[in-house]
Parts: sequence; structure tokens; C-alpha cells
Amino acid sequence: MKRFHIILLCIAGIGIATVVSMYGNTTQYVVFPDAIRISQESPGKDVHVVCKLNKAKPVIYDAQINVNRLEFTAVDSLDNECTIVFTKPKPTQFEQLEKMVLIGYYEKDHFLANEILSKCPSKYVESPPKIVSQ
Amino acid sequence: MKTESPIIHFNGEWLWLGNIGHSMAVVAFIAAIVSAVFYFWHEKTGLSRDLNLARRLFQLHVFSVVAMFVVLFIAIFYHRYEYYYAWRHSSNALPVYYMISCFWEGQEGSFLLWLFWNGLIGLILQRVAKNWESPVMVVIAFAQIALSSMLIGFHWGEFSLGSSPFDLLREQRPDFLEIPILGQLGVENYLQLFKDGNGLNQLLQNYWMVIHPPTLFLGFATAIVPFAYSLASLWRKNDRGWIPIALIWSLVCVGILGLGIIMGGFWAYESLSFGGYWAWDPVENASLMPWLIMASAAHMLIITKSTGRHVFTSHLLVQLSFWLVLYATFLTRSGILGDSSVHSFTDLGLSGQLLLFLLAFLALALVVVLQGKQRKWALECIPSLFLIPMAIAYGIESPENLALFNQWLKGLGTILFLGWLVFYLFVLFQRTKANLGDESILSREFWMFLGSMFLILSLVQVFAGTSIPVFNKLFGYKTAVPTAADYNRIQLWLAMPIMLLMSLGYWFKFRETELSTLKKPLFVIVLASVVITFLLGFGFGIESAKFLLFLFLGVTLVISSGLYGYKKKRFEWLRWGGNIVHIGFGVLLIGVLVSSVNKHILTASNEGIDLAPEIDSKGNQDNKGIKFNRENQLLYKGKSKQLQGYTATYIEHIQGVGNDSIDKYFKVLFLNKDESGKTLDSFVLMPKTQNNPKMGLLAEPSTRHFLHKDIFTHVGYESGMDRNEPFSNFRLDTIGFYRPFITQTGKVVMRIDSIIRSVNGDGLSIVLIVKAKRLQDSIWLRPAVLINEKTGSFNSVPAEDNRFGIMLSILNIQITDLTPNSNNIRFVIQSGEKTPVWDYIVIQVIAFPWINLVWAGTIIMVFGFILAILNRIRKQKQLTI
Repeated sequence: MKRFHIILLCIAGIGIATVVSMYGNTTQYVVFPDAIRISQESPGKDVHVVCKLNKAKPVIYDAQINVNRLEFTAVDSLDNECTIVFTKPKPTQFEQLEKMVLIGYYEKDHFLANEILSKCPSKYVESPPKIVSQ
Repeated sequence: MKTESPIIHFNGEWLWLGNIGHSMAVVAFIAAIVSAVFYFWHEKTGLSRDLNLARRLFQLHVFSVVAMFVVLFIAIFYHRYEYYYAWRHSSNALPVYYMISCFWEGQEGSFLLWLFWNGLIGLILQRVAKNWESPVMVVIAFAQIALSSMLIGFHWGEFSLGSSPFDLLREQRPDFLEIPILGQLGVENYLQLFKDGNGLNQLLQNYWMVIHPPTLFLGFATAIVPFAYSLASLWRKNDRGWIPIALIWSLVCVGILGLGIIMGGFWAYESLSFGGYWAWDPVENASLMPWLIMASAAHMLIITKSTGRHVFTSHLLVQLSFWLVLYATFLTRSGILGDSSVHSFTDLGLSGQLLLFLLAFLALALVVVLQGKQRKWALECIPSLFLIPMAIAYGIESPENLALFNQWLKGLGTILFLGWLVFYLFVLFQRTKANLGDESILSREFWMFLGSMFLILSLVQVFAGTSIPVFNKLFGYKTAVPTAADYNRIQLWLAMPIMLLMSLGYWFKFRETELSTLKKPLFVIVLASVVITFLLGFGFGIESAKFLLFLFLGVTLVISSGLYGYKKKRFEWLRWGGNIVHIGFGVLLIGVLVSSVNKHILTASNEGIDLAPEIDSKGNQDNKGIKFNRENQLLYKGKSKQLQGYTATYIEHIQGVGNDSIDKYFKVLFLNKDESGKTLDSFVLMPKTQNNPKMGLLAEPSTRHFLHKDIFTHVGYESGMDRNEPFSNFRLDTIGFYRPFITQTGKVVMRIDSIIRSVNGDGLSIVLIVKAKRLQDSIWLRPAVLINEKTGSFNSVPAEDNRFGIMLSILNIQITDLTPNSNNIRFVIQSGEKTPVWDYIVIQVIAFPWINLVWAGTIIMVFGFILAILNRIRKQKQLTI
């Protein structure tokens, strides 16, 4: 075996190591019951939950009390409900979001989200012309 | 109702414009095909008649592309909203300089731009490629066939080819012809309703968005040239003459693409509110991938040019870079990234065609690399690979069988694709391998090769992370895309060996180096770097060992490149190109390190401390909770708050006027005083929110640039976004002028001071000027009524003030005497109360130290690339003369 091949093998090894290390660290899209289970196995490990806002439950945000706390109830794809605490100001147009991805972990009695991904800027809409009556 | 008549003549349409556009698309497509054929014949036969014809046809193709560009621009410029593209992506209020941005908001426009750049590159190649022209131009024309097919927009029943930018609005959106009001207007006059377009995405209405996309696309377009030379060389039985020319073009590509990428980062930093210039978003990664490989390829070409080694790797990297361009196009335009990217691209139904485009190029490469019988065999087999599944799919009628078939096809397709790749690489290797034995460990090529390998490793991670949505789709996984932290963690350790190898490589000669010649320069470099790293690390406040090591390697790179340039080239600046690029790269990476490691959130505070566990179950402090908890602060209007390093005062908000009436600017004063109270610096930032009717609320940051740092701020929330508490404690007063009256709780005392009457046709408007006092504070309120004397309608326009928590509304006007003077008028006024609210904003303020190094490094790199390219062209000319 030539030196060249040894080097190539080393490089390939590092390549595999980086990919394994990254994939080992990735999280899955889960539903809330899974999030609870994962939080018991490894507290504080981030998961992603695809869900939507339950508009029937209150959305609590009062910047004058705490700018960094938004509380609401979300429903995942299997209709599980969960109370969410988000640690940043309320996103714009929050009530209109159709779908969101929460990143965070479950603790005690709520899901603590440190990131909300939404289709943001909200999908550019094609609106029919405004009819101006004359 | 839609009229049933077979032909409707629609009024006011400029149909001739679209007809020109459509015809030009067809001409462009056909001219590209025929040009490719004649170039191919010329390569086979060498007849100059074929060459001439091929050239003219390609010129005709470029002319048609330019004509399409002009036609589309006319449609946008003259607001011809009968054309879907113009209606969808522009509007009347759009300034001319943003009209050009309409070209890259839609897919068709951006394919047109790509066609245009490719065409321009083809014209340049016709002049400079000399004896390489025909094989290289076959590849370019092949790409043009594929690209222009995307713009043809032919529909035969189920089957459609491309998507035309000249389609009519009423064809794309037939539902618009069914708007009820058209019944009165007549369907043929539908255009009267479309006096304005849907508008351009607000985020694209930015100076940087006018120049960033075309630069990036030019970078993408240039990647085809080294690829074309690589195929041409294989076609010509492994001719080595392609190396120096491909090297020049690869430098052009790395330079322009790099500039385009950083421009995008600068745009994101200036106008998006995520607080940074690079987020490892899949779309950003998609543009970075070809850059990494093209940079690696350029180095490999230098090795091959100087030593004749690594011919296979040169071919591989040059081709890989182009395939990554195609892959990037597929990722961003097929809609596969879906939720994982903030860039919203929609699927135009072109993804199948894009995939076909990718496969067609792989097939072309395979045919070129094969020889003799094998090639013949491949030419017969490849089309059938496409045809068989299509034929089977056509025959299947039940949907369940079709779904099963699709699943089966996906699996088989993946296996076939991988097999194809492995086979291709094997054949390519067999044809280009050079058995020259091991190179010396003391040779420059050894170290350069190693450096290129680390660039590839960097790509491997970015590719693996960015492709997760593709794997999810293929294999039904549910993996989330990695976060920025995942990339940073690994890329940090890959950048370090790259910098080390770059600094070391200079001091080795090609083939063999006397070890003793290394000692002196390396000693000087290490010594100087240690001293400078120590000083800089202290100045920047970097403490962590790994970041100090990174800084050290960055400094070493800059010093090593500078010293080598000075030793070998003195003041022959034209030869400094490569060194200057490397200096710029070092400065850029130092800037990235310092601005992100020492990024400092000035609004960090203890607000929200109860949210995250401070102490975890093992009794350790949980830094994770602390990190994300308190990055924003609330500023009341007119009040100051002490942030870290600055006192911030929210002075007022300014509502935009006219076209900008949806904009709201928040004027925030920043003051930095020393202990004696002397002002060190003070400045005003105006972050903005925009209540965009199409896109919802957008926040635009505002940044103060200093030489050594930036202060970046954006508004995350403001009191105007609160849901208003309804008024209560209503109370009625019947009151005349100058008499004090109070609200239900007595907190506000009011008095009617004067009245303004104005007559407008049948309408009469009455505005009362009411003075309201609360504690020491007073304001004016202006409740009004509008009376229509004809209809007798009485509309009250209440006056409100949030800070006073008060609402006034005139319910009736009583005249107690027939001689109306001010003493005889009584107003029935309803007052309401709610909790007073002070206007406030929630802001985040971030300090980015030395972020200017990032931009400075980029500018240095671009300058270096220009020198390097000029120098290579000069050398090439000397050779050929």
C-alpha cells in the first residue's frame, strides 16, 4: 500500500467521522408524547415538533410583564395538545401562522421552545385585484 | 358567468409582445440544438463551413435570449398585466431600478438570466477558445438546449415542456375571469380590473438584491466552462492542453461566486433580522457547495499543470463543481427544501425537468468518457433507461399500481443512479490515471493536495447536512436539518487545517524541496504569528484555547502569504494574485471568528429568568437555559434604559407617508458616557417595521457601523401589535363649551375648547377640540361627527389616546335655543376608559466586533482574484505567441 492510499483512507475516515458526528446530533421531527418521552431519557435535548396553534385557547403575551415569554397551546399532527412556552417576543402575525416547527424540549408541564420556524416571510400571496366600486 | 362563445376578443391586450417572446423562446431552443449539432460535426469533420454555421447559430441563439429579456422587460416596464409574469412580480409603484429584480423573483426570469450569462460566456469562448472551440461549445450549447427548454412552455395535454414567462394572466389564472363584477364589465374587458400588479417581494426591494443575484448567477454560469473543457479533453483522447485554460476559468468562477455569496450575506445582515450574515440556511449552503469544490479544483489544476499529477482528481473536481451547481439549482427550485428554508421558492412543476437536466449531463459525461464499443453500447442503452419506466408507467391504469410502481421506481432509480456514478468514476479513473508513484512529502503538490482534500471534507459535511430533506423524501425519514451550531462546530475544525496547509504549502517547491530552506522562513512566520496572535487575542478579548489556535492560524496565513509574496515577487504586483487571495481569506476567517465569538447581545438581561432551569438535576448550572432566555428588552417611549455599554432611549416613532405609509420607524438614541459623565459617543438608530399587506409584518434592522464594531438593532415587537383592551366605564355627559367634565373614575378632566365646522357638498363635518388633563399632563382630543344633510345620517368619529386610556365620542348635538350661538349648543358626549398604556418597543441590540474584517477580507480576495486571472491570461498569451 502506498502512502497516498493511507492518506486517502485517513481523509475518508475524517469525512465519515464528521458526517456521523453531525447525524448523531440531528434531531427528529416528533409529536408531543415522543417529546415528553425523550425529555425523560435525556433532559434538555432539543427536538423538532411540527404543529399548529390552537386558536381556541388563549395566547398569552404581555411585553410589559415579560418581553421574553409567550405562552400558547399547540396541536401536533396527531392532535395531541401541549402548552408551549416560547422564550422570545411574540412573532409577527403569530395568530395567522398556518404551520410552525418548534425547536426545544419538554420540561415539567410544558414544552419550552427556543425557536419557532414558520414559513417566514409568510408565503407571498397572490391576491385577486381589489374591486373599487365607482 | 363565463360566456360560452368560442372566441372572445379581449380588449387592450398587447398580444404581439408575447408572440415575439414565445417565438424567440422557440428560436433560442432550436438554434441551440442546431448549433450544438454543427459544432459536433465540425469536431468530427473539421470542415470550416460547419464551424461558421455553428457560430452564427449560437449568435442567433444569444440574440433570441436577449430579445426575450427585452420583451419581458417591456412587459414589466409598461405594466402589461395581461402577462402573468409582469402581474405576478411587479406593480405600478415599482421604481425602474427594482424592475430588474423582477427577473429573479420568479423561476422563469432567473432561468432567463442564467441563459443570458451562459450565452455571453459562449460568445466570449467563440473568441478566445481557439482550437478548443467546437468541443467546448458543444457542451455549452447542450446546456443552453436544456435551459431554454425550461422557458418554452409547450403543453400537449398532460405533458408540458417548461414554463413560459410570456403566458397570459387569463391563461394562468382562468379563475380571475370568473370574478362576479366582470358580468357587468364584460369578460372581454377584464384588463380594466388589473390596473396594478401583485407587486415585488418587499425583501427584494433592496439595493443589494439588485446586484447579488446576477453576481451569484454569473458565478454559477462560469462553472460550466471548466466542466466543458474537462469533457472536451476526454473527448480528444485525454488532451492535456485544457488544464491552463480551465484553471483561468475556475479562478473566474471562484472569484465571482465567492463575491456573490458574501453579497448575499451582507444583504441578509443589512435587511433581515436574524442578526448575522450567515445562517447555514440550505439555500446559502447550496451556493457554498460549488464554491468549495471549485476552489479545491483550482488548486488541483495548478498541481496538474505543474507536475502532471492528479489528472483524474482535476477532472473529478471540475465536473463535481458543475454538478453541484445543478444540484443547487434542483434543491432551491424544486420546492424540496420546503419548510427547512426561509427562502420561499415554489415548485413550478419544473422539478422533473431539472432532474432530467441533471441526468442528461451525467449521461453526456458518460458517453464522452467511454470509448469505442463501450460508447456505442452506452448510446443505445441510456435512452432505454429513460424510456422503459416511462412506457410502463404509461401502461398502468389503476392508481394503487401506479403508487407501487413509483415506489419501486424510486428504489431502483436510486440504485441505478449510484451504480451509474460508480461506473462513471471507474471509467474516468481508468482513462485519466497517471502512474507516477508517490510524490515527495517535501513537495508543494503534496501539501496542496492535502489542503484540497480538507476543502472537500468541508463540502462533505455541508452536503450531508443540506441534503437531509432529499434523503427524507427518498427514504421517508423524519430527520430535522442541522442547526447553525452543528455546522459551526465541525467547520471550525476543518478550517484550521486548511489555513495551516495554506500557510505551509508556499514554502515547498514543486517536486522536491531542500528541508534546510524551510527553517528560516517558518521560524520567522511562527515567531511573528505568536507575537501578533498574543496582541490580537488580548485586543479582541479571545480567551478560549481553540479560538486562539484559530486566530493563530489565521494570522499565520496572512503573514506567510505576505512574506512569500514579498520574497519571491517583491513589487511585481501582477504576480501577487494568489497571495493576495490567501491574505484576504485569512482576514475573512479572522473576521468571522472575532465577530461571532465575541458577538455580544447588549440587551441581555435578567428578564424572563424564571423560565429555564437555572440548576439542572445534577446541581450544575444549566447554561442552555441562560443562553436563550433574555435577549430582548422593553423600552417605553420617552424613557431611557441602561443596556450593556449604552443608554438607550426610545424617542418617538415616525410613520411613513405616501408609498411608505406602511412603514413605521422607531427612533432610538444610544448614548455611551464615561464615568465623569462625558459623552463618548452618541448616535440614533431607526429600526423599522413594515405592515406589508401581502407579507404581514416585516422588521428591518438598523445598524451603526464603526471601524471596529457594528451596533445592530431590530424591533421584535411594539405596543401597536398588542390586542387593544376594549374601553369600559362608559359615561354620558351633556355639556357645553368651557365646562369641565370628567371620566367615570375621575382620572381625566376634560373641557371643550373650540369647534371646527366645514361643509363639503351635502356633508357637514364638526370637530370638537377637547383639552384633557391627567395628573400634570395634558393633551388635545378631536372627536368628530359627519352629518349628511340629505340622508340625515349622523356618523361619529371617536377620538382615542392610549397613554391617557381615554375615548371620546359625540353621540348627539342639541340646540337649546332657536338663535344658535355657542352658549346654546350642548353636546352629548360618551367617554370611556381603559388602562393607560405607554407606547413601547421590544428591541434586541447586538454588538458585532470587527465585522468589517469580513467585508474587507472579501474585497481583498476579489482584488487578488482579478490579479491572479490577469496574470494567468498574460502567461497563457506568452505561451501561445
